[in-house]
Amino acid sequence: MVKHSPVTGRYVTIDVDGCEYKVFYLQNGQGTPLVCQHTAGCHNHQWRDLLEDDEFTSKYNVIAYDLPRHGKSDPPHNKEWWKEEYRLTADHFVNFIVKLCDALELENPIFMGSSFGGNVALQLALRHPDRFRAVIPVEAAAHAPGFFLDLWRHPHANAAQVCGSGIWDLMAPQSPDQDRWLTWHYYTQGSESFKGDLYFYSVDHNLTDQLSQIDTKRCPVIMMTGTYDYLTPPEATQETASKIPSGVYIEMEDIGHFPMSENHQLFREYLREALRIIMDRTDA
Amino acid sequence: MTLSEWAIKFSEASDQDKTIGAMARYFTCKYMLDMEHTKIIVEMVDGKVYRMNISPSGMDAYDFALRASAETWREFARPIPKPMYHGIWSASFRKDLKIEGNTLVLMQNLRNFTVQFELLRKVGVPV
Repeated sequence: MVKHSPVTGRYVTIDVDGCEYKVFYLQNGQGTPLVCQHTAGCHNHQWRDLLEDDEFTSKYNVIAYDLPRHGKSDPPHNKEWWKEEYRLTADHFVNFIVKLCDALELENPIFMGSSFGGNVALQLALRHPDRFRAVIPVEAAAHAPGFFLDLWRHPHANAAQVCGSGIWDLMAPQSPDQDRWLTWHYYTQGSESFKGDLYFYSVDHNLTDQLSQIDTKRCPVIMMTGTYDYLTPPEATQETASKIPSGVYIEMEDIGHFPMSENHQLFREYLREALRIIMDRTDA
Repeated sequence: MTLSEWAIKFSEASDQDKTIGAMARYFTCKYMLDMEHTKIIVEMVDGKVYRMNISPSGMDAYDFALRASAETWREFARPIPKPMYHGIWSASFRKDLKIEGNTLVLMQNLRNFTVQFELLRKVGVPV
């Protein structure tokens, strides 16, 4: 008997700041849109288990896209992108997500992202509080310096393995081997984009002085970080959440920087709580 | 466990490890493990431990070094290390581990070195 997944994939073409992007996304479920951003240098398979988790897809329309230059989403088709160094900016990242949500006609979506996806979730809450029902920044902080490094794509090393193994101990040792090695595998595929993504993550994203301006009455912010994340350690996320009026912080025990990809079975327990808080705050 | 016994145990664990063996052919480098009062130079050739220098002199060469307190090395060797002691990058960002020398060689061998480093959780450390 052939086993088909209920998850479907489609492409949608959008224009963002003059860039024509043919964007690939995976979708499953019905209900409140839950838009999921992968981590830097990776792609949407990080959300593979959430996309097939009936408890969530019975209530949420789960959409996990590949950011342009990642997975099956190409670099812009109308640019000679190979003639300039890729550096993702906060402005472009935010504009892309809003344009994608508009193109998919998503009404009041919840946005969830991990790592640089978590950092852009904070940017969305600040800049577009009325476009999103809530955001769930995972493994995020107001500022995350230190990872915009040349070593990720040094021509004298195997960049695929450097990226795969360079992120290895961002994961918790308790996470299942199969899932950690799948995450490693995904990271071998994104080495040419990783450093450019990290320009946003470690350089261009800095909301240190703007956290108090986030209006959580319009867009609740539920932050979650794993105890094995050395890059955005729990204390960094906790401090960020404490400076956002009514910001919420949930600490995730025994998990690392890629919770949805390295250990979905544990992550889902925390995600359930985050979504419960959002529904409590926004149902009225 | 004496330093010599540990060196043999580590070598055997590395040479028999299937994950290293799956991509071992070009795993060639020489690195120092500096555990405060104990220093070891591990020499890898084509995926196998070629030599374990357990009493290196100041003139003995190596490509890169990992230096940390003995306490940190003992934390590395727990079956499930505590947060921030669970890898070389976490410990270099958040604890006292220093990564020195020609780090490009480390990057060139990072996949297998990372697997090999985690063998400490099985064989322990000699400090």
